[in-house]
Amino acid sequence: MDDVMKDRIEQLVDFIMKWCLWQFHSRSWDRERQNEGILTKTMQLLCDEPVDLSTPSDRCYWVDAVYLANGFKKTYPWLGTMEKKDIKLLMQGLKDRIDYLTINGSLNQELTNPLY
Amino acid sequence: MPYHTFECSECIPERAMHAVIKGPGEDLTSCLPLGYLNTIPGTISERGCAYCGAKHVIGAPMKDVIHVSHGPVGCTYDTWHTKRYISDNDNFQLKYTFATDMKEKHVVFGAEKMLKQNIIDCFKAFPHIKRMTIYQTCASALIGDDIAAVAKKVMAEMPDVDIFVCNAPGFGGPSQSGGHHKINIAWIDQKVGTYEPEIKSKYVINYVGDYNIQGDAEIMVDYFQRMGIQVLSTFTGNGSYDDLRGMHLAHLNVLECARSAEYICNELRKRYGTPRLDIDGYGFEPLSASLMKVAMFFGLEKEAQAIIDEETARWRPELNWYAKRLKGKKICLWPGGSKLWHWAHVIEEEMGVKVVSVYSKFGHQGDFEKGVARCSEGALAIDDPNELEGLEAMEMLQPDCVLTGVRPGEVSKKMRIPYLNIHGYHNGPYKGYEGWVRLARDLYNAIYSPIHQLSGMDISKDEIPTDKGFLTRQMISDVNIVDDRTTPSEERPYTGDWDIVTRLRGKTYPKLESQQLGTA
Repeated sequence: MDDVMKDRIEQLVDFIMKWCLWQFHSRSWDRERQNEGILTKTMQLLCDEPVDLSTPSDRCYWVDAVYLANGFKKTYPWLGTMEKKDIKLLMQGLKDRIDYLTINGSLNQELTNPLY
Repeated sequence: MPYHTFECSECIPERAMHAVIKGPGEDLTSCLPLGYLNTIPGTISERGCAYCGAKHVIGAPMKDVIHVSHGPVGCTYDTWHTKRYISDNDNFQLKYTFATDMKEKHVVFGAEKMLKQNIIDCFKAFPHIKRMTIYQTCASALIGDDIAAVAKKVMAEMPDVDIFVCNAPGFGGPSQSGGHHKINIAWIDQKVGTYEPEIKSKYVINYVGDYNIQGDAEIMVDYFQRMGIQVLSTFTGNGSYDDLRGMHLAHLNVLECARSAEYICNELRKRYGTPRLDIDGYGFEPLSASLMKVAMFFGLEKEAQAIIDEETARWRPELNWYAKRLKGKKICLWPGGSKLWHWAHVIEEEMGVKVVSVYSKFGHQGDFEKGVARCSEGALAIDDPNELEGLEAMEMLQPDCVLTGVRPGEVSKKMRIPYLNIHGYHNGPYKGYEGWVRLARDLYNAIYSPIHQLSGMDISKDEIPTDKGFLTRQMISDVNIVDDRTTPSEERPYTGDWDIVTRLRGKTYPKLESQQLGTA
């Protein structure tokens, strides 16, 4: 991954950390589900792909994804210059980074607690 | 490493990982304090107990309920009416609090008979109230009184009453947070699904994790109802006992304070498939985004946008007036709970106030993750601070105001640093667009109050000048606003009413039964 891509991922991470709450559910399994559900739908919206809204959970992920996609586009004009295949790479890198910050590399000792 | 050791805590090495300073490039994999652990012997905590967390914070804002503490009378005094969780039914829950008043003889011989008689007496004294919550305390838990069995007997004898039992004695967790957990789970186990409230709309939510401090929840419910959404229950500010038994019928749980109430949302998700949407109700931009997210879930974007446009146009000029005068001021944001992360970033974005420190008395590491993620570099984050650490932090950071509760607030006043009560509020509500302006006004009044010109004087020896009056607003708060022409004419100090909540009650809202769920 080149430096430009890394820098762009960090910019997106900064937006999520400042303006979102969904990434901080209290357990690892929940965070995995949140990160996957919302960031996948955000990628689909940014790439003009169809988004599954068949369940209430899907709709819930979707509203956060719409907020995120709109916020990304408004805050980072460079997103509009990228090709869809690069946006997919960017979003995969973003998901990996958010997974690391909130799950795999997190210092939060409660994440693996089996009880809420 | 970002851990910060207070000089006063050098003799308590266990405190070494309970405070961090966010340095350049620090993220959550390197900068996160410990949290929600037993308070360390040798330090003094500001924490409450698990019983307080269950009764005072979560349960007691229910408005149509006799709240009984089964224990010594002091327990209930310390959980009574200090949070200003008002209601629209004449504040029954604020006016009365009940304790069985256990004494030594009850500890020796048991207090179940007394409890049963107390319950019956309460219902006879207030015949229009048919619902009750009973909270265990340390004393009744230690002797093993079976409160649930007593409640069951009473309900068999009095079929028109319903009783909820919460077993969260004071020692049941490191802090009040343990009580939050216990009452959430007890409520869903005992009561959710036992009542079917009337469903009046195709768009139905539970508004969860707001306790209606000075009307916060009512402000939010007004927005939702203006969109045509039925708020089935409010957990638990201004909440009705029976509505809260019907939480399983909502389509969406809108969650405000995660750590006090996420447990019930998670259980509703697991047992009934109801999704959970976390929102920010404070600050113009986060609130607008939150209203729009809830609206999008139901396909009500136009209704939400109309509210956002109307409220922003009305209140933005007044927020801007304060923001101009607050710019660059430093605050310690020491709320105890969720405002740690609700405000950490947006108060800086929208009021220009720099957050130099955050803390939580009982927050989990998850709460600190949100706070640290949103704070700027250089901010100090402290878990479960003791009073000496608070003093040292104020000396080190020199804030212009400390946003906190009464106890640490009084300490800051002794240091001549003004404080703003953000537990029970000074002049809230602070939620909603107008509420956010009220917070800016209270912050402005705290920082620039002329009383600070006198508070450092010792009238027994200092010479008090008699030829000078107080400095005026223009001389202290407006002095840095160089050119008045830069202030648009519509910018002005707060023009709202003293009471902005009562007028919402009895308001009529649109009916939207004929509308369909929106699609993407």
